[in-house]
Amino acid sequence: MTVLKTSMRNFFAHKGRMALSAVAVLLSVAFVCGTLVFTDTMNSTFDKLFQATSSDVTVSAKGASDSGETTSDNGKPPVMPASVVGKVRAAQGVKSAAGTVFSTSVTVVDAQKNNLSPKGGGPTIVGNWNSNDARTMKITSGTAPKGPDQVMVDKDTADKHHLKLGDSLAVISAVGTHNAKISGIADFQVTNPGAAIFYLDTRTAQETLVGRTGVYTNVNVTAGSGVTDPQLKKNVVAALGTGYKVQTAKETADANQKNVEGFMNVMKYAMLGFAGIAFLVGIFLIINTFSMLVAQRTREIGLMRAIGSSRKQVNRSVLVEALLLGVFGSVLGVGAGVGLAVGLMKLMGSIGMHLSTADLTVAWTTPVVGLLLGVVVTVLAAYLPARRAGKVSPMAALRDAGAPADAKAGRIRALVGVVLTGAGGYCLYLAANVDKAKDGSPWLGLGVVLSLIGFVVIGPLLAAAVVRVLGAVLLRMFGPVGRMAERNALRNPRRTGATGAALMIGLALVACLSVVGSSMVASATDQLDKTVGTDFIIQNDRGQQVTPQAVQAVKSTPGLERVTEYRTTKADYTTPDGKVLKDTDITAADPTYATDLRKKTVAGNLKDAYLPDSMSVHEKFAKAHGIHLGSKIDVKFKDGATAHLTVRAITTSDDVIDQGAKYISIATLAKYVPADRMPLDELVFATAKKGQQDAAYKALKSSLHEYPQFKVRDQTDYKQALKDQIGQLLNMIYGLLALAIIVAILGVVNTLALSVVERTREIGLMRAIGLSRRQLRRMIRMESVVIALFGALLGLGLGMGWGATAQKLLALEGLKVLEIPWPTLTAVFLGSAFVGLFAALIPAFRAGRMNVLNAIATE
Amino acid sequence: MTSAVTIPRHGGTGGRTAVAARARQVVKAYGAGETRVVALDHVDVDIARGQFTAIMGPSGSGKSTLMHCLAGLDTVSSGQIYLDETEITGLKDKKLTRLRRDRIGFIFQAFNLLPTLNALENITLPMDIAGRKPDKQWLARVVDTVGLSDRLKHRPTQLSGGQQQRVAVARALAARPEIIFGDEPTGNLDSRAGAEVLGFLRRSVDELGQTIVMVTHDPVAASYADRVLYLADGRIVDEMYKPTADAVLDRMKDFDARGRTS
Repeated sequence: MTVLKTSMRNFFAHKGRMALSAVAVLLSVAFVCGTLVFTDTMNSTFDKLFQATSSDVTVSAKGASDSGETTSDNGKPPVMPASVVGKVRAAQGVKSAAGTVFSTSVTVVDAQKNNLSPKGGGPTIVGNWNSNDARTMKITSGTAPKGPDQVMVDKDTADKHHLKLGDSLAVISAVGTHNAKISGIADFQVTNPGAAIFYLDTRTAQETLVGRTGVYTNVNVTAGSGVTDPQLKKNVVAALGTGYKVQTAKETADANQKNVEGFMNVMKYAMLGFAGIAFLVGIFLIINTFSMLVAQRTREIGLMRAIGSSRKQVNRSVLVEALLLGVFGSVLGVGAGVGLAVGLMKLMGSIGMHLSTADLTVAWTTPVVGLLLGVVVTVLAAYLPARRAGKVSPMAALRDAGAPADAKAGRIRALVGVVLTGAGGYCLYLAANVDKAKDGSPWLGLGVVLSLIGFVVIGPLLAAAVVRVLGAVLLRMFGPVGRMAERNALRNPRRTGATGAALMIGLALVACLSVVGSSMVASATDQLDKTVGTDFIIQNDRGQQVTPQAVQAVKSTPGLERVTEYRTTKADYTTPDGKVLKDTDITAADPTYATDLRKKTVAGNLKDAYLPDSMSVHEKFAKAHGIHLGSKIDVKFKDGATAHLTVRAITTSDDVIDQGAKYISIATLAKYVPADRMPLDELVFATAKKGQQDAAYKALKSSLHEYPQFKVRDQTDYKQALKDQIGQLLNMIYGLLALAIIVAILGVVNTLALSVVERTREIGLMRAIGLSRRQLRRMIRMESVVIALFGALLGLGLGMGWGATAQKLLALEGLKVLEIPWPTLTAVFLGSAFVGLFAALIPAFRAGRMNVLNAIATE
Repeated sequence: MTSAVTIPRHGGTGGRTAVAARARQVVKAYGAGETRVVALDHVDVDIARGQFTAIMGPSGSGKSTLMHCLAGLDTVSSGQIYLDETEITGLKDKKLTRLRRDRIGFIFQAFNLLPTLNALENITLPMDIAGRKPDKQWLARVVDTVGLSDRLKHRPTQLSGGQQQRVAVARALAARPEIIFGDEPTGNLDSRAGAEVLGFLRRSVDELGQTIVMVTHDPVAASYADRVLYLADGRIVDEMYKPTADAVLDRMKDFDARGRTS
């Protein structure tokens, strides 16, 4: 009981000193809980949506995916004859059945040719207005579409793009472009996370999306009273036979849910991963706080021991304090987490994904996980300092404050650290020298972990060395104030080491990723320069195929030397070694593609792969399946017949562009796949006549003005787009790492604040003998900068090592150029100096405000 | 007797005043209304240049407060304090700090040295902070006087208590301040080490012409001074020239007895 009482008193007596540790716990717990609440809310939003939109039983054409994604390679949805509806109606237990037709491989533009597709990645859906939709949508103005000239739009999209009744829209599909005016606006009755939906009447939808009438993509079936969905499904299957896909509402909703789940799980675990890093950094902060509190309280603890407290009791009293801190920080963290989730939902709203706070889902596990994590991590982190507190001898009560450093522990620590770092380095060395990328990744992972731990362990030793160097370079010019700052930073290497290590973790990841990212850009650019022989690439950034009309527009553009079409589809391969590879990619292109992309071959001439009934494979594939020039492969095309193709070229496997592609000509593909099942172009390459590049670029842009969903890029633009894409990804990761870095900055503030408290008398003395406030503040700022730069140096060094190793490893996969992003790394280094300055603001201010006499008189 | 203004303001020493510091009607009070505590009650005092002055008095008499005010460490409620001809009451922190740095030396009872700096660095610290180069010859003489030549590279933790105080004395002397204030400089030392330090202070007055003001409650320490001021209840109640330990002790007993009867 007394243990609890003293712990409580200590905790509240030092609440200021605990504050920053509590914030660290709070932030980490908030991030975990925020992630959980956010993803749960997204899940339940989609869940509600899918449940609301699924009819009791849905019949779709064979070839449609489970989730009802009705796009196939030819840009049109798979369909079934209208007569199916009659057959379904006749089945037992069917109350009603309605045919629907819809497609997601469409683009809708307004009169100014602005693409109305959602920017956040949601789908664009065009379909017929039917009874099932009428259940979940309410027409808020105008009327449902009737006749070929009318279209209805959902309210979210209408609001976003300021559309009103009577506005002209154009629906662009693989069939062609259809113009209509807005007849009505319908609003969702459940939260629509971000799809743009357009309705036509049934006949217009069939003509616009499929190109003929009398067909449907789905039949929505409603059960009669007393008929369960599975029963209804059975009846419908019995009536239709096996040629169709029949799913209950639950099956459809589950399939849809599964579709979004993959993406959401990636997001969830990535965010939890970053929360984990923040926790890791927070551990350093907590260890430092408790170590310093224990050190400051050495005499007090000695007294407790002298009057009869056992080691265990002292130990426990520190742990109880940690427990209080953990509970306090975690409870606040759980609350903040919900706030964070709402903030994230708003943020998603700004990029076009609607989530309603009405759907906010806080599972009971969320606060439990948050609390447990926060408390357990805090108590574990406080364990080492608590043990040290238990070791304080009763004699300490009589000595001056400050425990003498343990030289033996230092030597063991150095040994362990060097061994770990060495082992980590060796693992990285192994990773950089393997033959197969797959073999290297475990070594890379192990190397990263071991070298990180090693650096943390020898941090205090490195601190002594690095701070001396930094001091010699930076601080000496500030004279005695600089010298004192350096000495202060060196005074407790363990503390400086831990504070710097916290910053090191975040910055090491930043450095590593920036090295890999810029190596990716550099490698791709390098290869583009070396191998690409064409000027322009036309594609849709959302992965839609290029419609035949758009391809025609490209082909009729003046000033072009040649246009190459590029398609991909899937096929089942039977290789010479007798293996059957299902659903494997195959690339069909015009023969000119061999000139557009000068891929290296290890055998044969790539041009020959485009001969009739010929193909190329890549080196790894050839090796794996015993393929030589002249080998025959049976290729059964999706939606088509089986071809016996002869291998006429073997390409290298380690390039970035079109890695692992197997080529045939479009003519070969056309021989085996019926015309109405032919996939559309995925990419179109255009090459200008000599010296007409600029004119051709302009001409191409104006030809594609009608089709804003397709982008034309020249090589410079393409490289820039690539760079932007990787840059965006990196920025997102940096944003998430910012959390860990913020916690590390709190750590620097914490260390400085506690150091200032610890050195109150010294500060008083220095002020008495004439150190000005400004000099005092500068001294603290410089100490802070040195600690931050120490962390930055370690982090950047470690991260560059990891990045360079990863590049060496990935060189086997085509990442051939190592590019160290010096501007980024320099910015991070200089930024760290600013972080140091910033972290010192409050501690320096408080030190400056100390009353000289009181400071001197402090015990 | 509330005044110790007994020395003529102008002596014969080369145009400089014979008074190194003076206080005029200095009041230092804490709190307000009923809880008002007066630590210094209209004190007038002159500190003679080139002399060793001791301030004595029982606990709570205001002796430390007086020293802190004279040294520019503490502010006064009313009255004026001059260091030479400079009025320091009313100076802002910046000027006060510079004044302490350039014109005043300090020796505290304990914790005089920065643990991160070695003895020599501690000695030259005030000058380093000011960005001044120490006078090499003077420094050597000071170091020699306090007998620390072979300890200059040692950190404070490697020095004994007496040695640490000697370093503090050396630091105070090294910058050649106009006046050195000592706050019970020998309070934490045994009698032998204390005698050593006091001996150095005496010699620095006699041989180097240094002005020293020291707060103490130890009659033996006070006996090293040229003049002893007695404080009680925030007033100067007596003074003594050329004191001996016995005379100081007797005077103290006298005050004690009077304090009890009055």
